[in-house]
Amino acid sequence: MERARHLADRISHYANHLAAALLLSMFVVFILQILFRYVLGWPVLWTVEWVTIAWLWGILFAFAFVIKTSDMIRLDILYNAVPDRLRRGMDVFTGLTTAAIFAYTLPHAWEYVTFMGIERTAAFRWPFDIVFAIYIPFHIAVIIRMLLVAWSGLKGKRPVDETLLDPEGHDYD
Amino acid sequence: MIDPFTLSMVLIAALALCGLSVGLAMMCGSFLYLILKDLTFPRGFDPSIATETLLQGLFNGYTLLAIPLFILAADIMNIGSLADRLLRFCQALVGRFRGGLGHVNVVSSVIFSGMSGSAVADAVGMGKIIISMMTRDGKYTPAYAAAITAATATVGPIIPPSIPMVLYALVSDTSVGYLFAAGMMPGLLMALMMGLMNWWIARRRNFPTDEAVPLRDLPRVTFEAFPALMLPVILLGGIYGGIMTPTEAAAVAAAYALFISVILYRSVSFVAFWEALRGGSKSAGAIGILIAGSLTFNYVITREDVPNDLAAFLAGFDLGPVGFMIAINMLLLALGCVLEGGAIILIVIPILMPAVLAMGIDPVHFGVVAVVNAMLGLITPPYGLLLFIVSSITREPVGKVVREIWPFILALLVALGIITFVPDFVLWFPRLLGYQG
Repeated sequence: MERARHLADRISHYANHLAAALLLSMFVVFILQILFRYVLGWPVLWTVEWVTIAWLWGILFAFAFVIKTSDMIRLDILYNAVPDRLRRGMDVFTGLTTAAIFAYTLPHAWEYVTFMGIERTAAFRWPFDIVFAIYIPFHIAVIIRMLLVAWSGLKGKRPVDETLLDPEGHDYD
Repeated sequence: MIDPFTLSMVLIAALALCGLSVGLAMMCGSFLYLILKDLTFPRGFDPSIATETLLQGLFNGYTLLAIPLFILAADIMNIGSLADRLLRFCQALVGRFRGGLGHVNVVSSVIFSGMSGSAVADAVGMGKIIISMMTRDGKYTPAYAAAITAATATVGPIIPPSIPMVLYALVSDTSVGYLFAAGMMPGLLMALMMGLMNWWIARRRNFPTDEAVPLRDLPRVTFEAFPALMLPVILLGGIYGGIMTPTEAAAVAAAYALFISVILYRSVSFVAFWEALRGGSKSAGAIGILIAGSLTFNYVITREDVPNDLAAFLAGFDLGPVGFMIAINMLLLALGCVLEGGAIILIVIPILMPAVLAMGIDPVHFGVVAVVNAMLGLITPPYGLLLFIVSSITREPVGKVVREIWPFILALLVALGIITFVPDFVLWFPRLLGYQG
């Protein structure tokens, strides 16, 4: 369990650099788009496509591999108020239910993503199964992460700081 | 057998109450709905619909791209010395009055609101500095400094730009540009109310008058802050001059903030910039999953025709627009006590929208009312993000901050009343820009 957590921390650390690079690419391409359109007068399509793909990948990738429970938007009033035993029960319930539902729907998700290979994007002509490919690792990561939550609920070894809210990170409100 | 819709709603509530990410809870509920429907009624339902809705919604949500860029812009402003210079400017402007730093707090929040779209970013960046200024020589109690900082930060997403209004635009199908414009007067009104409250408290408690910045220093201080002060002008001028879309304005805001911080003020290193990107990518992932969850959730409630049923149900009560608005305000304020602003907007607004339109309420006006409510939720206990932030900055317990914040909540409620019941006040500015509503 300790090793799993250690591994997760390392993945999160490196993945965060990758997510940051995606955000940087969005930012740079947006600036290019404004330059092309308003300064040079060239209408461009690929910039819009790049930023939307980066946004989609950024969200699903970051949620799967980077962000911790403390970064998530949660309703934790009840969770923090109940005694430890009940909280562990909640972890087991959310962990197993979510993992089960996501596991059941995995083949359907796979079917949809691969099916989208018949269409291509307008500018890059990339097949949509590639564009949407990040969804599959996201879906699988949710299953694994939720099983870990359920497991640490059973074992009672979920560190307190893992679920403690980090309010400063919620800078979209 | 209980119907799939009820079961899935119960599941969402249960998972969310047990502390699962709200976005994931909504996805689970939507998946469950489709699974059960697929089992009982195999034609037309398939669990992959949720995946499709989510991916297509995010891929086609071009307006939403403003969100990560506004987050990044605010992060860049906060790592540079931009906030310092703005505060010095505000201090020279209004610091000479009784309770001066309180007024500085209000005015600086208004200016910062014109550049950032987030209340949390306001409290984290500007808030940290002004709290240390206020508490330095024991002039103000830490609890008061914390309370006024949290309260004034709520103006951030009301005065344009605004991340919550981008979320509202997504779920209500209204124009981001007009929504931004509609926030202008309400934001200024909220600031005025808090300024009056600070003035009243300062007199009653005999707060010190700060040493006035000599008037001859004013040109220099203004000159130093000038590039930062130009940012709101560029943003609003760009959007309303028709030069750029609100989404592009977000990128321009980030680029301009980076430009003045690196080139003019020489206060941002590459390492700091990279850290801002890392933080920004995490925030974008967290809010992005909430958006993704709400996309799937919206599919379910639309498929079940819940919003229209609710509109018909509410019409039966004969509430009238006034009664309806009072009820909505109470509902949103109550939700604000336990939920974050973005979550309230993404969950509640889509359900309410048809009822709002049936009542003849203007959707842009309603958007401002909803966002003001959601921002009040950030300072109402027990769950208030801004309360948590200022409490951790000052190391004062949340309870002590709450005792000091009540007068400001009262002031904001008065402003909310005016914003709710005088639509012409809210819509005056967007109409000036061509809004037909």
